[in-house]
Amino acid sequence: MFALVHLVPGDPVRLALGTRFSQESYDALRERSGLDQPLVEQFFGWTGRALTGDLGVSFRSGETVTSLIAERLPATLTLAFASILVALLIAVPLGTVSALRPRSLVDRVATVISQFGISVPDFWMGIVLILVFAGTLGWLPSGGYVPLTEDPGGWLQRLLMPALVTGVVSGSVITRFVRSSVLEALGADHVRTAQAKGLGTRQVFTWHVLRNALLPLVTVTGVQLAYLLSGVVVVEIVFSWPGLGQLALQAVQARDYPVLQGAILLFALVFLVINLVVDLLYSAIDPRIRR
Amino acid sequence: MTAPVLEVEDLRVRLRTPRGPADVVNGLSYTVGAGETVAVVGESGSGKSVSVLALLGLLPARVATVTGRALLQGEDLLTMPPERLRQVRGPGAGMVFQDPMTSLNPVLTIGRQLVEGIRAHGDVSKQAARSRAADLLREVGLPDPERALDRYPHELSGGMRQRVVIAIALSNSPSLLIADEATTALDVTVQAQIIDLVEKLQAEHGTGVIWITHDLGVVAGIADRVLVMYGGRCVEDGTVDDVLEHPAHPYTRGLLGSLPDLAAPAGPDGEVPELTAIPGLPPPPTDLPPGCVFWPRCPVRADPRCETEQPPLAVVGSSGGALPHRAATWCAEEEVPRG
Repeated sequence: MFALVHLVPGDPVRLALGTRFSQESYDALRERSGLDQPLVEQFFGWTGRALTGDLGVSFRSGETVTSLIAERLPATLTLAFASILVALLIAVPLGTVSALRPRSLVDRVATVISQFGISVPDFWMGIVLILVFAGTLGWLPSGGYVPLTEDPGGWLQRLLMPALVTGVVSGSVITRFVRSSVLEALGADHVRTAQAKGLGTRQVFTWHVLRNALLPLVTVTGVQLAYLLSGVVVVEIVFSWPGLGQLALQAVQARDYPVLQGAILLFALVFLVINLVVDLLYSAIDPRIRR
Repeated sequence: MTAPVLEVEDLRVRLRTPRGPADVVNGLSYTVGAGETVAVVGESGSGKSVSVLALLGLLPARVATVTGRALLQGEDLLTMPPERLRQVRGPGAGMVFQDPMTSLNPVLTIGRQLVEGIRAHGDVSKQAARSRAADLLREVGLPDPERALDRYPHELSGGMRQRVVIAIALSNSPSLLIADEATTALDVTVQAQIIDLVEKLQAEHGTGVIWITHDLGVVAGIADRVLVMYGGRCVEDGTVDDVLEHPAHPYTRGLLGSLPDLAAPAGPDGEVPELTAIPGLPPPPTDLPPGCVFWPRCPVRADPRCETEQPPLAVVGSSGGALPHRAATWCAEEEVPRG
């Protein structure tokens, strides 16, 4: 990862100094950022410092990488969790209904909706929403972010559209999974046992179908959440949402190695943590996995 | 014989399949008395399982059309409203399924699966239902029933799981127990234990039992009466002795001929008689022959009507009991060499 970042052509020092600069200031900045040292030394230096929580200083702004990330984190967390909520609110009912009536009209409509959600580019959906709700109707601001603590109303207004866009995309993916896992659970032998016991339809469905369909749902939701937490660049840009995706993109453009490395490290950590949580949830849901 | 627990009359099941309608059960009629065991035998695909699933409305309504009458203690199962049918499942008829590995929900404890069945049919407190569940597990011979309640199905062996399934089926003291290939997936010693268990419970509670199997050894051990199914029809029925000792239908003879006879005398060189298999496969239910269903595979075909006309179920003789021995064949009178 480190090597890949440095392989990107372009010189961060040149980019930081602009078009007119002297050789002395170039050398000075190069020395200050440690870019004059061999790559291997740079790597071990960075790794060592990262272990102590020091991710370095941005070439561009001079702020520490940790503070830059901490600044962006609340916005990203907000958007990611709001999106996954929207996604589940779409996916669970839609997937369930189409599994209950396979090949029916409802199922076909749900399939079309989720195919639409998967295939339509998110930036296009975002622009359309902005045009309709911010432009024509003027109900919502077209973008930006305010912290919940400062202005709860404004926070919600600004969150609504980006969360809807990413939620629809993730929700469409999850819908397909819900449909197939509910369908599979419905066909299981133990569902017939439950019916033969004389349980009511709702009880059979909740405890013997949905309960068993939960496992694949947790997996795919975890994957989607990890993806959302590592920043949804396009949507963040469309809605000028100051999240980690934007930060990473700007870092790439400026060849701001410390920021980019910091962001990548964080994304890797997010994946690890989410996988761990998913595994822990597994054993809570499925007794066969315990011990 | 007392009033029958179950009276099935002209039961027909048609399934919608991609290859057109399939007549899986074609006019099945039988009765099960209190404390009586009726064995339904036949090959895979003969309509045995479907015929009992249809009774309890356990076939998907989208694909299955069920007609006929099935009176469970005087009430027609096939026309009753869904809520009444739900109430009957359990206290009216309990069911034990083929594969204990899959017929229990893997993510719920044994206790929960028993308790929910008990509480679905009466205002019972959780504690009362739990202690009833423990009693049931004790009754079906599960060691340490209290602890077993908190276990998950995967922590038990196949035989133990099938005991749990039986406990669930018996939890509301049904007047009819349907065992759908209940011992097929188990090994022979466990099979014998399960059969003993069902016989014991049946004797204690006077339950009528429908035992579906393709194992004629099991039939001989457990059943009072036998119904042989082929191509969705009953081709022969009667008491166990009549059907197994004097089979009238060529199909039944074929089935018996495909069993090893341990009592048969060995040949002069110590060789045992070879087993005979019935050649061919059962007809597809989407395309049943117009005459006798067994005609395409029948080694006898003694009557010209075999190919064109469906033989009715007719009395072929009786060993003197109250039950007639019937077979649906044109060839009953012919002496067919037993395989």
